[in-house]
Amino acid sequence: MTEELLALSAMARGDAAVFARWASSVEVPLRGSLRAFATSVDTEAVVQETLLRIWQVAPRFSHDGRPNALLRFAMRTARNVAVSEWRRQGRADQQEALEQHLAAESEVAPITPDPYLRAKIGQCRDQLPEKPRVALGQRMLSNGADDDSVLAARLNMSLNTFLQNFTRARKFLKACLEKAGINLDVELS
Amino acid sequence: MTPEDELLLEQVTSAHRERHADGSIRAHPAWHDLDEDGRREAFEATVVLRQLEAALDPGGHSATVRALLARITRG
Repeated sequence: MTEELLALSAMARGDAAVFARWASSVEVPLRGSLRAFATSVDTEAVVQETLLRIWQVAPRFSHDGRPNALLRFAMRTARNVAVSEWRRQGRADQQEALEQHLAAESEVAPITPDPYLRAKIGQCRDQLPEKPRVALGQRMLSNGADDDSVLAARLNMSLNTFLQNFTRARKFLKACLEKAGINLDVELS
Repeated sequence: MTPEDELLLEQVTSAHRERHADGSIRAHPAWHDLDEDGRREAFEATVVLRQLEAALDPGGHSATVRALLARITRG
């Protein structure tokens, strides 16, 4: 818990690098907590909005003395953001499913990077055919700043061709890892 | 899933999101065009993709985290 308190203190001082490390450690459980909302709201937008709010409230966050306080707060925030968006859309037909989800509490913990998995993914990336590798690289370089149509234009590709190459990259990486005995759905989600 | 749906799904896996006038983050337009099965598939594909991105990034950050980092350091 000391590590968490140190990270929180640094974030409160505006240390964006520490925030990024913390966000990377909690992204998987945070996103996973939104699985029940996957058909109701765009969970990528919810995850980004949640993490942005955590960054903004970090200087005023009061730790409750129990482990993973900030992650637990982030998960409550994510749920609130998702519910607000869901209600904004007027999805009253899903009230029962939403209530069941809100009643469910799960144990949460940050994720530690797995160096073996990281190395294997890097090896598979190096085996990608050129065009899928370039499409994947453009997304990586963009840092989410640009729409795919902009990325496609940079590569002199049509949007459809860019997206098809990106699909090939994802599927190639998944198949390559499965050959190495790594099932991404089990390992990562 | 139709080829058209696959293209929509792939767009939804991007970390790029526009913003509302108040600064809040908007849903991707392609997400609205997917049916429920497509949205579920996009969610699961994104879960996996973000981990791939984090593994390939020298700092260990996914596109989501890098997008946020770019935003908060821009001020």
